[in-house]
Amino acid sequence: MPDFECRLKKFRQLKDLTQEELAIQVGVRRETIMRLEKAQYNPSLKLAIDISRAVGAPIEEIFIFD
Amino acid sequence: MKKKKDVALIIVGVVCIVLLLVSSWYSITFNDSRLVVPMNFSEYTFCMKDLPMICSVSLFCLYILYLSILLVKGIIKKNQNQSLNQCIQKINPKLKKKAAAIIIAGIVCIVLLFVSSWYSITFNESRLVVPMNFSEYTFCMKDLPMICSVSLLCLYIFYLCVLLIKGIIKNNKSQFSNQYTRKINPKLGYLGFLGLIGFLGFWSYGIDKTIFPFIFFMFFGFFGFFYEGKMSGTLMDEMYKENKLKASAKANKISLGIIFLSLIILGQGRIMVNLDFTLIAFVIVVALAIALEIFLNQYLLYRYDHSEQIEESEE
Repeated sequence: MPDFECRLKKFRQLKDLTQEELAIQVGVRRETIMRLEKAQYNPSLKLAIDISRAVGAPIEEIFIFD
Repeated sequence: MKKKKDVALIIVGVVCIVLLLVSSWYSITFNDSRLVVPMNFSEYTFCMKDLPMICSVSLFCLYILYLSILLVKGIIKKNQNQSLNQCIQKINPKLKKKAAAIIIAGIVCIVLLFVSSWYSITFNESRLVVPMNFSEYTFCMKDLPMICSVSLLCLYIFYLCVLLIKGIIKNNKSQFSNQYTRKINPKLGYLGFLGLIGFLGFWSYGIDKTIFPFIFFMFFGFFGFFYEGKMSGTLMDEMYKENKLKASAKANKISLGIIFLSLIILGQGRIMVNLDFTLIAFVIVVALAIALEIFLNQYLLYRYDHSEQIEESEE
């Protein structure tokens, strides 16, 4: 399992988006967003940038690596 | 809990197959191949050395029965899923008509072949039906029905091959541009039972040393269609692709490991009584390893992609 903390859920809720809506925006499945929020999946650079733009927060604040 | 149950089921299946192979080897080596090669059961008398074979075959049959019950339960549960039924009912009516026409044409070709064979056997001394020396062949009007029906059947098979190749090319093109997995009916998983035809190899070997039927053990891999069907119409995002690569790597590793081990063990040439049996054992192990690889590709992909229960969408 990847070793990082993910604060995606917080930023997603700030933007008033559901997992499904965010998934459609960035072109992935809801399961992928779900795994990301639980820090069970390490996203690619492209996906991380797309998510960052979708929730309007910098990447380093969404994904925090030790 | 469900994971442990799946793993236990697979382990039990592997144990049943191993026990069957071991008891067959024991029967061939120490029991004059009783209950392995075809025998006249009306003259059968029980002997203690038959016990391993009887037990392993009974266990295997019970396992298959248990699998069948699980599959039927799964299908009943699946049929209650309305969205799957709607998916199946979306088949284009034109395609249905085309499929029906192709099937009817095939049936007509086979019927014509049977009728022309009957005519040839009854009125034409079985010419072109029984093997004959074609270097001495001279055409005769009575041969015409048989020639026409065989030509028609050959044309039909050729047309089927052309359709198949066209379908494969079209499928490859659409998959290249399509971001979704192909739609597969999970019921195709029943084709996995064709793997049982592999056991006919023990019978055919006893008759005329034919070992070809053992290759059919590969068809056990088609049980993977159950899991591929569950993943029908899934968006192939990066997580899916990563899980697919992970599943493929693990499946390949396991099956290659089995083939490697069997090579080391059977390559000794001394485990079995003679080289014939060594070859048969190797063919069986390789066929089963390939089946396992095909099955695990789909099963592990499903496991990795659904490792937790899907939660409700959060607001």
